[in-house]
Amino acid sequence: MNPTIARITLRGLLGRRRIWLLVPLPILLIGFAWAARAFGEPPAEWGEPVIVGLGFTAVLPVIALIVGTGVLGSEIDDGTITHILSKPLPRSEIVFTKLAVAVGVTGGFAGVPLFVVGLLADSTPLAFALVVGAFVGALAYSALFLAISVLTRRPVLLGLVYVVLWEGLLGNIMSGTAKLSIQQYVRTIVDWLAPTDILAGSVSVPVSFVMAGVFTVGMTALAVQKLRTFAVAGETG
Amino acid sequence: MAQPTSVIHDIGYQRYKGPRLGRWYANRSLYEQSLRTAFGIGRGAKAKIFPWMVIGIALSVAVIQIAVRSLTDQSFITYRGFAATIAFPVMLFLAIVAPELVSRDLRDRTLPLYFSRPLARTDYALAKYGALATVILLLLAVPQLLMYIGAVFTRTDGFSGAMKELGDMGPGLVGAFIRALVLAAIALLVASLTGRRAFAAAFIVGVFIITTPMVGILNVIGGEGSALASLSFAVNPMTLLIGLDQWLFGAERDQGGGMPLGDYGPFYGAATLVLLAGCLGLLLLRYRKVAA
Repeated sequence: MNPTIARITLRGLLGRRRIWLLVPLPILLIGFAWAARAFGEPPAEWGEPVIVGLGFTAVLPVIALIVGTGVLGSEIDDGTITHILSKPLPRSEIVFTKLAVAVGVTGGFAGVPLFVVGLLADSTPLAFALVVGAFVGALAYSALFLAISVLTRRPVLLGLVYVVLWEGLLGNIMSGTAKLSIQQYVRTIVDWLAPTDILAGSVSVPVSFVMAGVFTVGMTALAVQKLRTFAVAGETG
Repeated sequence: MAQPTSVIHDIGYQRYKGPRLGRWYANRSLYEQSLRTAFGIGRGAKAKIFPWMVIGIALSVAVIQIAVRSLTDQSFITYRGFAATIAFPVMLFLAIVAPELVSRDLRDRTLPLYFSRPLARTDYALAKYGALATVILLLLAVPQLLMYIGAVFTRTDGFSGAMKELGDMGPGLVGAFIRALVLAAIALLVASLTGRRAFAAAFIVGVFIITTPMVGILNVIGGEGSALASLSFAVNPMTLLIGLDQWLFGAERDQGGGMPLGDYGPFYGAATLVLLAGCLGLLLLRYRKVAA
């Protein structure tokens, strides 16, 4: 961890009013939960579409994608990454710092509204479980998107392919792809921490923890390795 | 009087006297170039990977349909259902192509070069819009034509069968045309707001995948059969367009009545029109104001 890099990354991510790009999503999440509650629907009814539908399939991956590819990707994109790479810092420290910032921001922007949604669903255990789930998801997604942003010059598109085609489309058609879907791990873990009939993951609890860990560690190691041999190239494609 | 020490020679500079190709030609060129950009033609392999991946998915769905139909004589997708089947890949395609068309020009500040030609600001926006709409139309219509050709060769009832098949495909092609117009307007408007292709792509997909679960939530809030539930499908552009199809051509035979729109069919027509007009209006407004 390097406080200076963390500060610069955070400023690049949220400074200059960029923070307002991320704010609408959490507000939507809370707004819909509040509206459903205000109309007198029981949480068992609206919990699934709000928490799973909006929270875990839309808000969490979208925020993770924007943040996760932004922490390192935008610096690679505009070339300022050379300033950091030319400093006498281990590349692993750079990656770990960027990852920590991404996890913190994503977990915060997705976890806080999910916590509020859990409270609106009249379940404090669920609220805390959702925060844990949001951070586990943030960790795995951020590691994945961070690695992609070192590997390719179009990290957002590749990340979208993962979120939209793999988790979104194939996840509905072929149940086997769920074994490699971060969203399923998150759902399983939340359901294990606070059993409700709202969430039901299609993977077992141990598989979820192990695979989320494998995603995080594997992708971080890959990012470190690739950043060690990173070639600064001009604008291509 | 001093002798002149230097002279200015006439080295033959002259004005251009040839024909000027004008605004129409500039528009056509921009449209053509945008089409090529969308497919990555004339650029490296890296620019082709993403668009052609989606095109490959769309075509393979059509090929699978042809194969299934010729082997089992049953369709797993209809012409009309095709656009809805590949809604996710189409969404991705918008996120790939729209930022490529407009965000790069914003980022590289090349707009002054365009606007210094006989090309009005609205022309630029409309040429890009036309190109994107054309590309989406091709993406949605060509696989349907492929499915049609496959179906005609599978059928054994000759010409009358081909005409009947054409009748089935009609609504699918109309739907593809409407989708091309509406989706291109939404994607281009979002992409024109930022010069960063990465952000633009994320925002375009964001618009679609954030609004998808809202349909379900509004359905729950409204309760079955309520007006809110009938109107809820208009929140997401993809379900809005399916609703419009349903209003125009009736529910699909084999889909158990389709979405429960109640008597609100005309609302979907109006909502589509408002969405299209709104996005196009804002797009033109954006290019009237954008710093060149």
